[in-house]
Amino acid sequence: MELKTLALDLGVFRVLQAGDDQPYQAGWYVDPITGQRVFYDPETQNFYTMAGGVYIPLGYMNPSPKQVAIAPGEKLRITISYKYSGPAITGAIEYFSVGVYGALGFDEKLVGKNTRNLPASTTPAAYTGSYTFTMPADVGSNWDDIYCKIYNGSPSVPQNLFGYENALVIVGKDPAISEFTIADFVKV
Amino acid sequence: MVLDIVMAPMALAPKTFNVGETIRVSVSFKYAVGVNTTVRFLAGPYYTNIFGKHVVDPCVGRADISLTAVSTPTPQTADVDFLLVPKTNGGIDNGTYGLMVWIEGTNAVAEQDNVIIVSGNPTGGLDISGILPMVMMLMMLGMVMPMVQGMGEGVTE
Repeated sequence: MELKTLALDLGVFRVLQAGDDQPYQAGWYVDPITGQRVFYDPETQNFYTMAGGVYIPLGYMNPSPKQVAIAPGEKLRITISYKYSGPAITGAIEYFSVGVYGALGFDEKLVGKNTRNLPASTTPAAYTGSYTFTMPADVGSNWDDIYCKIYNGSPSVPQNLFGYENALVIVGKDPAISEFTIADFVKV
Repeated sequence: MVLDIVMAPMALAPKTFNVGETIRVSVSFKYAVGVNTTVRFLAGPYYTNIFGKHVVDPCVGRADISLTAVSTPTPQTADVDFLLVPKTNGGIDNGTYGLMVWIEGTNAVAEQDNVIIVSGNPTGGLDISGILPMVMMLMMLGMVMPMVQGMGEGVTE
């Protein structure tokens, strides 16, 4: 059975210390990648952007850079990469999910978790994590979104989320037909 | 499931058939499916009028085709036979018809206008089936009118 892989980059994060060590102060920041101005609220630990005069949480779902076709019974490996600097962390959770992303959020259909211990580091150290799903026989044709996050542990790391929309093409129990043409017709 | 249908231009030449003959339609397509499954192909002649396209139902043929599970689009062919049922048996009249093939339960359909020329139905004699409803209505009027006229009698001012 073919193993298919998706890769996500969660970027850089650092430890969320108990008490007063918040990762960011409240205020406006500029995303160094997109140049977008975003507002950080330390109480909700969320970034917000302004749209039509309303502050809305910064989206964590993104258009997928590639699509993977996968059928029931096949295996899907999702790989994440991230960097960490800070004190040693025990029991951080790498979280992987396949599901349906819509107006009401992410409807998780498949979930996988790894527990990671991260050693102390004064400079950002690179890590990767992966989880392999076996697609069930009753996989829905709309289970085409994925997201991953890392959170929890002791001391706790701030939750980092990242996901892709339309990352999967589910080859389900209903056939997908294409290039359907009449080649010929004759009397028999 | 999203069905990605691509209709390629067809260049089918019109052919003449007699009623009572069987026509075999060959189709080609690509498919992908997660589990072994069977799909039903249907084929038949159709005509077009101001209300749209109408398949001649008595002539529609069916064929069940098994598809093996594959996750990448794979070429496949299939044959569907259908019989040109004579008009006297409730089937098809003489004339020119289109040819339509489709897969049950999907939006996969292929068609081409004016490629089946049907002949062989008897053209002589009086066929009253077309005017029968009108004859029936006239007969009913003939029965009702005397009764209505009778109800009006005896009314004086």
